[in-house]
Amino acid sequence: MKNQNINTLEDYKYGFTTDIESIRAPKGLSENSIKFISKMKKEPQWMLDWRLKAFNRLKNLKEPNWQKPKYPKINYQDLYYYSAPKSASEKPKSLDEVDPKLIETYKKLGIPLNEQKRLSGVAVDAVFDSVSVATTYKEELTKKGIIFCSISEAIRNHPDLVKKYLGSVIPLTDHYFATLNSAVFTDGSFVYIPPKVRCPMELSTYFRINASETGQFERTLIIADKGSYVSYLEGCTAPMRDENQLHAANVELVALDDAEIKYSTVQNWYPGDKDGVGGIYNFVTKRGACRGKNSKISWTQVETGSAITWKYPSCILQGDNSVGEFYSIAITNNHQKADTGTKMIHLGKNTKSKIISKGISAGQADNTYRGLVDIGKNASNSRNFTQCDSLLMGNKCGAHTVPYIKNKNSSSTVEHEATTSKINDEQLFYCNQRGMNQEEAVSLIVNGFCKEVLQQLPMEFAVEAQKLVGISLEGSVG
Amino acid sequence: MINNFKVNSNEIDKFKKISKQEKEFRIKNLNLFNKNGFPNNKSEDWKFSDLRDIVSKNFKKLDVQIINSKSKNTTLIKNFDHNFLVLINGNLSSSNFDFEEKNKIKIKNFYNDNFSDINKYNPLIHLNHALSDTGYSLEIADNYKFKKTLVIYNIFTKELNENILNSRNKIQIGKNSELHTIDLVVNESKNKFMNNVYENVILKENAIYKNICIQNEKSDGFFHKFSKNTLSSKSKYSSFIFPSGLKFNKLDLEFNLEGEGSECNLQAASLLNKNDHQEIKTRINHLVPNCKSYQIVKNVLNTESKGVYQGKIFVKDIAQKTDAYQLSKALLLNDNSEFNSKPELEIYADDVKCSHGSTSGSIDETSIYYLMSRGLNREESVRLLVSGFLNEIIEMIKSNSIKKFVQKKIEEQIHGN
Amino acid sequence: MLEIKNLKASINSRDIIKGLDITIKPGELHAIMGPNGSGKSTLANVLSGKNGYHISGVIQYKGKNLIEIPVDERAQKGIFLAFQYPTEIPGVNTNNFLKTSLNKVRKSKGEKELDTLTFLKIVKEKSAELGIDEKILSRQLNVGFSGGEKKKNEILQMKILDPSFMILDETDSGLDIDALKTIANGVNSSRDKKKSFLVITHYQRLLNYIKPDFVHVLSDGKIVKSGGMELAVELEKTGYKKIK
Ligand SMILES: Nc1ncnc2c1ncn2[C@@H]1O[C@H](COP(=O)(O)OP(=O)(O)OP(=O)(O)O)[C@@H](O)[C@H]1O
Ligand SMILES: [Mg+2]
Repeated sequence: MKNQNINTLEDYKYGFTTDIESIRAPKGLSENSIKFISKMKKEPQWMLDWRLKAFNRLKNLKEPNWQKPKYPKINYQDLYYYSAPKSASEKPKSLDEVDPKLIETYKKLGIPLNEQKRLSGVAVDAVFDSVSVATTYKEELTKKGIIFCSISEAIRNHPDLVKKYLGSVIPLTDHYFATLNSAVFTDGSFVYIPPKVRCPMELSTYFRINASETGQFERTLIIADKGSYVSYLEGCTAPMRDENQLHAANVELVALDDAEIKYSTVQNWYPGDKDGVGGIYNFVTKRGACRGKNSKISWTQVETGSAITWKYPSCILQGDNSVGEFYSIAITNNHQKADTGTKMIHLGKNTKSKIISKGISAGQADNTYRGLVDIGKNASNSRNFTQCDSLLMGNKCGAHTVPYIKNKNSSSTVEHEATTSKINDEQLFYCNQRGMNQEEAVSLIVNGFCKEVLQQLPMEFAVEAQKLVGISLEGSVG
Repeated sequence: MINNFKVNSNEIDKFKKISKQEKEFRIKNLNLFNKNGFPNNKSEDWKFSDLRDIVSKNFKKLDVQIINSKSKNTTLIKNFDHNFLVLINGNLSSSNFDFEEKNKIKIKNFYNDNFSDINKYNPLIHLNHALSDTGYSLEIADNYKFKKTLVIYNIFTKELNENILNSRNKIQIGKNSELHTIDLVVNESKNKFMNNVYENVILKENAIYKNICIQNEKSDGFFHKFSKNTLSSKSKYSSFIFPSGLKFNKLDLEFNLEGEGSECNLQAASLLNKNDHQEIKTRINHLVPNCKSYQIVKNVLNTESKGVYQGKIFVKDIAQKTDAYQLSKALLLNDNSEFNSKPELEIYADDVKCSHGSTSGSIDETSIYYLMSRGLNREESVRLLVSGFLNEIIEMIKSNSIKKFVQKKIEEQIHGN
Repeated sequence: MLEIKNLKASINSRDIIKGLDITIKPGELHAIMGPNGSGKSTLANVLSGKNGYHISGVIQYKGKNLIEIPVDERAQKGIFLAFQYPTEIPGVNTNNFLKTSLNKVRKSKGEKELDTLTFLKIVKEKSAELGIDEKILSRQLNVGFSGGEKKKNEILQMKILDPSFMILDETDSGLDIDALKTIANGVNSSRDKKKSFLVITHYQRLLNYIKPDFVHVLSDGKIVKSGGMELAVELEKTGYKKIK
């Protein structure tokens, strides 16, 4: 079975062609499946060794259990660690068969027609001509010295950068899911911005070459060299109708002196149905290191999908005067559960962090903010401001705020505020009196509640996210 | 004797004349404690206070024997009419209710008759329940309002040295009754010892309980107190706590708002100095509609001190119209001090007003500048600002005489250092 | 236009409107005066369909009973309430809000929804007409507005939505003289044969500008006296005591 798979692979190289559905790693988590992945990706030996090291550590790690949402035990031997996209026969044959909502989103994002087809999973062979927009962008980026490619490509073509930075923010053995990812990650993005370069456009998974349809174990590495700037968008606005599937991605960001990285996510994976059946387990590790002085990392997330989300995009503020930001909207409806927040680790002097978290819970859902602000002994004159607001819709859902605040420096200040409430009846009445129905009124008020976070998103994304807020709460008001 | 901080099971045999049930209860708790030992920071509730580490650094052994010293003359608070209880090393030694109708008050040594309630989380409660044999039980009849304050003198005698005291207290206040108490700690021991208290306060309908707790002498005591408070409908609980000066102090307070319209207020102010380690942990359970809870905790941290506040507000799905508020403020005066907090909300009802805030940071430089421009030196300015910071809490005490008394204690502390 | 018969309303088991009759014909402007707490705002809320009241009696609007119709549909049918205390909605841009609102009303009338540019043109026009600085519309809805700005915002919304039955709940309270004229101007310029008003006020001053056809006195949930402008003049002199 295994050999056969490898043969198939060799016949088709890496392109995702119509026959690709036959490419699968052997079932289960083993040295063999890891070797298979590595081989299939034509990885150098050091990469395979790295993966195996992670795999060996994994044996001694336990799945974390401190999170609020509990989930049925995952049988790691019952998963495929490399699986190609759905078979071509299931794929739509033309754009007419694609969910019109999806097409609308693409249009908004300004994705050209051909690209839309590719993204929608329309069979790519004939339609996808060679002059893709993505390629055009790529040329422009290359001129500036920006490297933007899949992580597999980077491992092959830029081994020095990858060796230097991969695992430097999320150590190989950080925790169960991160380590699992290190062992079996399949693909993801790699970005390197050279010194003093301001990336001229928002980089996005949408525009990524060779990296569409990445697997459950995505790995992203972004390096902003001295004095550079990049804004990266991670879009999952397309609902993926997978069943209870585990997504354990790792994202590492490194900002050197005077560099800035802005990382935005709009996550709308399949949340399961009204009764809580199906949906994605989204167990993601995202961490950024402000390694250089005056560096800045800003996370913005709009989380509306997935059955269970555990996610704590964090900043390690090592460089003096570095800044970390976390802007988050998490909406849970029906039986969804989200446990999300951030860690701001202040190590350098004059470091600043800001956390704005808006949690909205409806139906029977549970929404937890969990965060850590840690001001170290040497982090003089540092500051943190945290605002966590929760909105509850109905009394079958829950909101939980769990901030950990540590301050070891007397010249540093930490401020934390949190509130929990429901939508104000007077506000609803006011909107109704101006002709809006209950759902429109709720969507409007909730969007207002989330304004501070939505503002952080790039324009096109913000529009989409605003709609998403409304859609996610559909059916939650009586 | 606690050897390697495991309690020898023959300690239980020293309790003569106890029922089989009681013996089983004590052994069960003892085994629970021995299984885990003193809690460390791996356990969520002890994340910021690693008691195992603290105990092993400070004690070679811990004697669990009950020290029954007789009291020398207790110095009572002067110019202040009051009833009193005297507890010597946790043991009820005398009581005086001369201002009250005696038949409304039942005071006796604590006797435990509930052997079913096994705590799930706290190893110190296990230890307490395995070994406690001292403490008091105070019951107030229905419809009786105390005329004067009850002062509870908690005296710890010279003999204490590497001992651990385990005592249990119970206060029950009947319907429409009212009691005001002051808990005062007097420490005569110059040595290290541990005090581990389990307290149970029960307020019946419409009862009012106001308590002020003062512990601010520098001492080598290591204190832990778990307090479980049950509030029936329309009852009101208010507590002011002014703890500080202990090597280790953890107050673990649980409030169960079980009756509609009940209300709980908690105010704390501490000035922590060298080597003080203090944690206040609260859990307020809003279990029925229309209840209120309010918490404000202030800490000033001086050299090499550590302060912790862990406060949790839980609101059950039926507890609509809950009004819950929680605020923690800390002033760090020195870089070798540390303040940690975990203000937590867990809410399942939507029509509620719940919020918390937590700040920690340095003393405001502009205020210092302002005071110095008026001729005070830096030290004086800091002192003034610190006392202002803590005074906000003291000012909330309604009774003038008590307010003055507390103010004096705090001022002594600010100037003593 | 509007016919109210034996209207009773209670909330939290408190009776507030206790049997009230008013008939308002197209083109008429009725003023309601009355002491604090007499039930004026409650009447305005009940007419616009606010939830939570226990209601009996009849409210006929353009020949149809309103009682079972929800707030938003009443608004779409042309009922507009200028709130005594306009609600603040943080984070919501006023223009955005108003555009959504206008398009809802237009849609229900079978009219085409407006794009942003056309909408902004209308806003410009109307605010110029009323002499209101349109800048307040780019701020968060009522958040941090001064008392007067809130009221002007209500009138501007009224002008833009172009409703057929308008309830003004003390829109004149707390206004400077110029603002009062702005409000009166907003009312007068909207008056025509097909539109009607119910204006709740404490002062004769506004009525001098807008000339009511009828003045009613509401006291303890009932209309205790009705008349013309002269009633308002009388009230200004004698207060409510004599009327009871
Ligand atoms: N939700 C409610 N629950 C209980 N009582 C209410 C409620 N709403 C209004 N009331 C009472 O009903 C009475 C009428 O209130 P309303 O606001 O209609 O008065 P008003 O005539 O508009 O007064 P003002 O001139 O001060 O605006 C008042 O006594 C008020 O307290
Ligand atoms: Mg009114």
